[in-house]
Amino acid sequence: MAEILRIIFNSLETGSAYALAALGIVLIFRTSKTTNFAQGMIGALNAYIAAFVALNFGLSIWLVSVIALATAFLTGITIDTLMIRPAKNVLPVSKQIITLGIIMIIIGIIPFLFGVNNFQLASYFPTGSIDILGATLRFNTIFVITVSFAVMGLLFWFIQKTRWGLAIRVTASDETTSKLMGVPTATVTMFAWASAAMLATLAGLFVAPRVSVYPNMLLNVQISAFFASTLGGFSTFLGPVVGSYIIAFLRNFTTFYISDIWGNVMVYMGILVFLYFKPYGIFGKKPQKKV
Amino acid sequence: MKVFNTLDTVFNALGRFFKNVPYAGYGLFLLLLWLIPLFHSVDVISSGQLGIFAYIVVITVAALGLNILLGFSGLISLGTAGFVGAGALGVGVFLDLGLPFELAAIATLIVSTALGALIGLFSLKVEGIYLAIATLFVGEILRQIFTTVPIFGGQSIMIGSVTLFGFIELSTFSQSERRVLFAIIAALLVGMMILMQHIVKSKTGRALLAMSRSSSAAQAMGVSLLKYRLMAFSLATFFATFSGIMYALYNQSVPTTQWTLDLSLFVIAMVVVGGYKSIYGTFIGAFIIYGIPNLYLKDLFGDVSYIFSGLLIILVILFYQNGVAYLAVDIRLLYAKLKRRIHGGSHGKAPLD
Repeated sequence: MAEILRIIFNSLETGSAYALAALGIVLIFRTSKTTNFAQGMIGALNAYIAAFVALNFGLSIWLVSVIALATAFLTGITIDTLMIRPAKNVLPVSKQIITLGIIMIIIGIIPFLFGVNNFQLASYFPTGSIDILGATLRFNTIFVITVSFAVMGLLFWFIQKTRWGLAIRVTASDETTSKLMGVPTATVTMFAWASAAMLATLAGLFVAPRVSVYPNMLLNVQISAFFASTLGGFSTFLGPVVGSYIIAFLRNFTTFYISDIWGNVMVYMGILVFLYFKPYGIFGKKPQKKV
Repeated sequence: MKVFNTLDTVFNALGRFFKNVPYAGYGLFLLLLWLIPLFHSVDVISSGQLGIFAYIVVITVAALGLNILLGFSGLISLGTAGFVGAGALGVGVFLDLGLPFELAAIATLIVSTALGALIGLFSLKVEGIYLAIATLFVGEILRQIFTTVPIFGGQSIMIGSVTLFGFIELSTFSQSERRVLFAIIAALLVGMMILMQHIVKSKTGRALLAMSRSSSAAQAMGVSLLKYRLMAFSLATFFATFSGIMYALYNQSVPTTQWTLDLSLFVIAMVVVGGYKSIYGTFIGAFIIYGIPNLYLKDLFGDVSYIFSGLLIILVILFYQNGVAYLAVDIRLLYAKLKRRIHGGSHGKAPLD
């Protein structure tokens, strides 16, 4: 019982990071119709900024998190205005490769600004935990899970209930028509990139204490986020979140109970088989196709 | 304008020649590639640079396969790196079992191509972004297997000197034998280019093109989606695996950890920057994406060079959408325009062509 509880807590924590990254990926996919391979790298860049500021100015983790989120907002806007918006008429695959270009630029910027050493970032609650049926639940884990749920809840409320949320939804469903209806699609897309960058940065800040800050720190999270979005379905915002927690749980469960070599492979194979029978994910709907 | 007339005659004659005898172009290309080890033997090119050229040659084959998929069939694969790795590591494993190199290569190709066909089968059900991520799943499964399953060893797998046809033993430690190895992989690349030329000019190539425009229309014309989806993915994995085998042949030591999503994205970038559907363009794309940063920029700027290669990719995509391969077409148009302008002065209105 203690073991399974520990796995659940652990999965909720890693799943939260996946879910945050996945929401960003889906937000960008729906509004600018591209797969953002740079999601993890954008998060890493801002985690670097946080760690750098924390190290050199001695600020607390809370304060540097706010700074990192602010720079993430700016990163998102910069990327959208300079690289994504001019690529409006580019082929879809070429557009994805632009995000590869963004990865390269960030990989080049990081050693230029911060040097080649890895950084450390403190966790929000370094000490303190409670015992639940023999399993330890650290305060930091509780905090990460709570913040993630709150952020996602806020985002869902924003998308479902506000005017700007409506603008996001209509841009996602048909950009040309929404533009004709007077929706400022360019601003919506910019907002999507800014929030995606902030979500990635949040994921980075949550993961950083465990893996330290280095350029590929979010690679694993990003790939899992892609898988989660596919499992849940790209056409909803809820699907990727649910998919994230499912993947996190399955991975932890199989690697712990079955085999740490074949665990991941089994989970991926299982999802592939699932996709064969349900090609648009758990929540996804088959898009209408005109001949 | 006498200059233009002579230039025209020369260009036309050359154009006709290469069109009528396509092998002449490939032969010339191979000779150019063979100049590289020649330069190495007189120390114009360092050993490190020879290695970079070898990598370009190797990865071009994988990019050619992806071009069949991306350019001709309109499908995308994010699992290319996995299959290149499977080729390189698979050969190592089969060699360990005591097979000669040729048999090991064939066995690897068969296993890997069958896996590719399986993805093709999968692609009949799943499409768009879901298919792209599904191929990423395959790539990640392969990567996971390479890095954790004991038969592939830990960090890398040693192959050692390779014996071809049972009697030619070549080791990458000897400089002169390394040049021979380069000449061999260059010849293999040109062979694969010719193979691709034949595939895309055949019934298969036309069926793939029809499928990429509209799968429903292609089906209505009698193109079997099952057959050609399988074909497209098998070909792409065949080329990727072949590229891996070339990697193993040249380097004779294969790392297990570098077959990641990044490499797959780079291969896609080579096709995008080089030009969809263009065979020579794919090589140029590989040279731009891998060669220019590693041969020139890295010496000048160090790690910061990544910024320039990133910018290069973005700028080419933004301002030269069709890819560098179509530069030749544009130059020809420019030349015609120039000719018209100069002729226009003396002959009045220029004829439209």
